[in-house]
Amino acid sequence: MDFKITSPKNKAGLLKAMQEGKNFRFGAGYTDLLMELKKQEETSFTIINLAQLNDKTFTEINTISGGLRIGSLATAAEIVNDKFITQHFPALQEAAHSLASSQIREVATIGGNLCTASPSGDMACALMALEAQCEILSANGKTRTVPISGFFTGPRKTVLQKKEVLRSVLVPLLEKNRKLHSGFIKVGTRRSMECSVVSLAYHIHLDRNDSIVHAGVAIGASAPTIRFAKTACDLISGNNLKTISQKDKEEFAAKVVSYASPITDIRATAWYRKEVLFNISKSIFE
Amino acid sequence: MKKELRVIGKPVPKHDAGIRVTGKAVYGHDIVLPGMLHGAILRTEHPAAEFTIDVSQARKLPGVVCVITADDVDVNNIGYKRDHPILKKGEANCTRDEIAAVAADTKAIAQEALKLIKVKYKVRKGVYDPFEALNEKSPQINKFISGKFPNKNIAEVFHYEHGHLEEEKKKSAVTVTRRFSLPRMTHTCMGTSNITASFNKTDGKLLLYSSTQVPFLYQRDMAHALKMNPSDIRVIQPVIGGGFGSKLDMHPFEPICALLSIKTGRPVQILYSREEEFIASPTRQPMIIDLTAGADEKGNFTFREINIIKDNGAYTSWGATTPFVIMQAFSSLYKVRACKFDATAVYTNNVFAGSFRGYGNPQATFALERIIDLLADELKMDKAAIRLLNANEKGEITGQGLHFETCGHKECLETVIEKAKGKRQKHVASGAEPAKVENPRFKNGIGYASMLHVGGGAKIYRSDGCGTTSKIDPYGYCTIITGSNEIGQGSETVLAMIASEELGIELKKIKVINTDTDVKPWDVGVHASRTSFVAGNSLLGAIRILKDKLNKKASELLQTNDPEFEYSDNKIISEKTKTTIALDKVVREMHFSEPNELAIASFFYEPSSKFQDKDFKGNVSGTYAFASQAIEVEVDTYTGNVKVLDIYVAQDVGKVLNPLLLAGQIEGGILQGVGYALTEELLMHEGKILNPNFHNYKILTASDIPNIHFYPIETNDKQGPYGAKGVGEAPLIPTAAAISNAVCDALGVEFLELPMTPERVLKAIHENK
Ligand SMILES: Cc1cc2nc3c(=O)[nH]c(=O)nc-3n(C[C@H](O)[C@H](O)[C@H](O)COP(=O)(O)OP(=O)(O)OC[C@H]3O[C@@H](n4cnc5c(N)ncnc54)[C@H](O)[C@@H]3O)c2cc1C
Repeated sequence: MDFKITSPKNKAGLLKAMQEGKNFRFGAGYTDLLMELKKQEETSFTIINLAQLNDKTFTEINTISGGLRIGSLATAAEIVNDKFITQHFPALQEAAHSLASSQIREVATIGGNLCTASPSGDMACALMALEAQCEILSANGKTRTVPISGFFTGPRKTVLQKKEVLRSVLVPLLEKNRKLHSGFIKVGTRRSMECSVVSLAYHIHLDRNDSIVHAGVAIGASAPTIRFAKTACDLISGNNLKTISQKDKEEFAAKVVSYASPITDIRATAWYRKEVLFNISKSIFE
Repeated sequence: MKKELRVIGKPVPKHDAGIRVTGKAVYGHDIVLPGMLHGAILRTEHPAAEFTIDVSQARKLPGVVCVITADDVDVNNIGYKRDHPILKKGEANCTRDEIAAVAADTKAIAQEALKLIKVKYKVRKGVYDPFEALNEKSPQINKFISGKFPNKNIAEVFHYEHGHLEEEKKKSAVTVTRRFSLPRMTHTCMGTSNITASFNKTDGKLLLYSSTQVPFLYQRDMAHALKMNPSDIRVIQPVIGGGFGSKLDMHPFEPICALLSIKTGRPVQILYSREEEFIASPTRQPMIIDLTAGADEKGNFTFREINIIKDNGAYTSWGATTPFVIMQAFSSLYKVRACKFDATAVYTNNVFAGSFRGYGNPQATFALERIIDLLADELKMDKAAIRLLNANEKGEITGQGLHFETCGHKECLETVIEKAKGKRQKHVASGAEPAKVENPRFKNGIGYASMLHVGGGAKIYRSDGCGTTSKIDPYGYCTIITGSNEIGQGSETVLAMIASEELGIELKKIKVINTDTDVKPWDVGVHASRTSFVAGNSLLGAIRILKDKLNKKASELLQTNDPEFEYSDNKIISEKTKTTIALDKVVREMHFSEPNELAIASFFYEPSSKFQDKDFKGNVSGTYAFASQAIEVEVDTYTGNVKVLDIYVAQDVGKVLNPLLLAGQIEGGILQGVGYALTEELLMHEGKILNPNFHNYKILTASDIPNIHFYPIETNDKQGPYGAKGVGEAPLIPTAAAISNAVCDALGVEFLELPMTPERVLKAIHENK
């Protein structure tokens, strides 16, 4: 494994590296990238190292009007410890907390988790349930924003063009101090250092009487990409979280499962993944 | 009157803890010798194939110094049955098969050279199922065996029996028959396999830096393989990054490295990558156990009938001899009136197993303890009560001839049953109230299991002994040169503690030398939980002789005829005359005044155990260890995940020598047992390993660790040093059995295989609906 690396310190340097580079890859926490590079003997590309970039829109977590901006270089550990995220987006906090191990969480970034576009990305799954927006910076300095539902185009594939970098993730905050039922469920064999066999993120807004005002539910490791379970969300909207019937719970779970097209691999069979997805979907009302 | 112990029984930290945690320990991977080359091995691409090989391009690559194939070497086969060629010629029978090796200036060049070796394969259909291998129509897999057995694919058979089987069957009120199936588990040592070989062409001597657990047997095996004189081979052990039995056999990469050094006249090093470690290091034996067991109406065990088929893989290792230990569990764990045992090791094109902590006992105990629960169910008896009724006792001589001069089995059982009280079994056949069900999603259960294992060595080689030389220098420091070795288990520390206790020398003045076969006296090696027992007794013997010499000189110097000296605080004290002399002064007087004698002594300790007869009967160990565990689990019926909540473990350790090291053995062993129960399995398809990485071979992490409650039981066996027994293997042996019993209790299902992965558990729940 041998590669060239350039480490821009600011936005101008980054844009320059992107303009000049012909064949490059970005590196943030390298917890995915190094694995990939180890498998290749020779690499013809340069690594644009984002880790030393000093640009707040990449590195910080800040409230903005209508929500929260999370820089793509925010690490899982920073997300775990962020009070605002813990309070308003528990699904994301829990997802970040469930990722790998504390050592990996210190370096793994949210941007890397999205851009690697693994169907089992945990933070990516939570962001899907949160209906986040991805802010993309292009080599010419322009930005564009795509909803996360349009970000993943296939396993390990995203809408990012060749000369584009993910700058921030924008998470909408519907209403401050809204009652929430929000969380992340990860299924695997062990309790850490585990790649999700199935995952489920849910972010449900309630009114004072526990009626469901808005629901976001996403599934991971169950289809070629992370998926937003729209019909399941629609089904429960308007229902009361506390009194939702057994029949509705099961119908909801069945709708969630309808988004899954899991594979059988050495970690689990498709049967298991569907079965468990059904069970954990139901469990969010218990 | 018994003296109070000053050092023994105290929580002394490990001798080598400092260098280990600060990264200063020198592992095999850290060794660099002048002019050293890097070796790499080419393995077959297909587990069953004929092949031709062309290494000419690899030889031409700049930086490559040597390339060898089977055609370039004159060697003997290796392995327990000498059925294993070091380099395979024309025919591959296992995915690990070494077909060529390279020595080059750098690791990268060595790897590059491997790619230039051209191999043409004629792929054959392999035999991966031992039952298929037993079919007469199957091809012969290993061509190097003598043909001692009627079936060409049988590597080894064991038969044992005691009592009157047919009579006991008739006396049985209940009989249960089940087939149990056990997976391939691997050792996952933190330090991957490694060796550095340095052959000196001028004197014909071979120096090996090796992680073997058994240096003296290794020296002999290596000599046989290379057609050398054993004494021309010197084995030095660097710090070892985990053994667990994996380094009991000598593996082909080791003589291959030696051959590369012999051919080049330069030092050569081979280090495994993690992937190679998963593929090419040994495993625990996978086996199918057919077990029928009976009990009379009161619950007394009447008989056990066992038939085991072991997947031997393509070659025979020490692993094939695990039935020695397996039959002890079946013949002698809990009192049983009759036992008939058969085990057959069958060649297949799978990877071969080796020895692994517990040596077949975890497999046996799983089957046995599962069937005890099933017998209790049939009898509508309490699962704790049936165990207590049949528990082994002090003084018992079992059907196999094992003599339990001390026995903590009942106390172990009583302890864990008592401690786990309140955690009621869910499926209580005896009609007692089951525990309350709180949340229908999560189901709790509790399971019990015990184990019996050798605790004072195991006489399977002509000697089970250990030699020690001990000296005190003129500065009052003590050096222990012991035949035994340290593979992380802490025996160095225990030996230093013994010397400190006996000689009154503080620990920091005690050195343990144990890494060099040219220096240390003979020992059979680290296995069978024997080191503290055997090496401890050996050291005590040497110290006795040393003290006789010191006492004589001290009597002279103190002008007393008091034979009862007290050794304390670096001094020799006469209680009678209340006079004192510094230990180092006594040593100096010995050395430097006439008749000029050294303060040095040697002793060879051989345990009282006996070689078993041809029927496998006899008292094979100096003493026996017992343990019981009660384990509570919580099963998530939505996902099939089993959470181990509390493990109550009581173990007859004879005597606690060092509570800190003991806790390390207990906790480490138990966690390996939990992995065996729930997650660890090398997955194979047609002879290839599907998960050669930590991502998919799942050992448990810190966040999965249950609460472990440990209660040492001290039976003070007069055979052991200070009464101690071997402890190393025991904690892992009953764990999977107890967890499995707990899961079955929680769910009311029957588990007959391991590991109980979430998927298997969920499936069992579905099938039970
Ligand atoms: C032992 C281990 C355990 C793991 N466990 C988990 C787990 O439990 N859950 C989970 O979801 N993941 C897990 N992962 C995967 C990985 O840690 C995460 O996906 C992590 O978030 C990746 O972030 P990174 O900063 O390390 O990305 P990198 O490795 O630096 O990059 C990943 C990819 O994204 C690209 N990239 C990174 N940043 C940007 C950017 N700003 N713009 C455009 N492209 C970019 C890179 O070019 C690369 O292709 C694990 C990995 C390891 C090694």
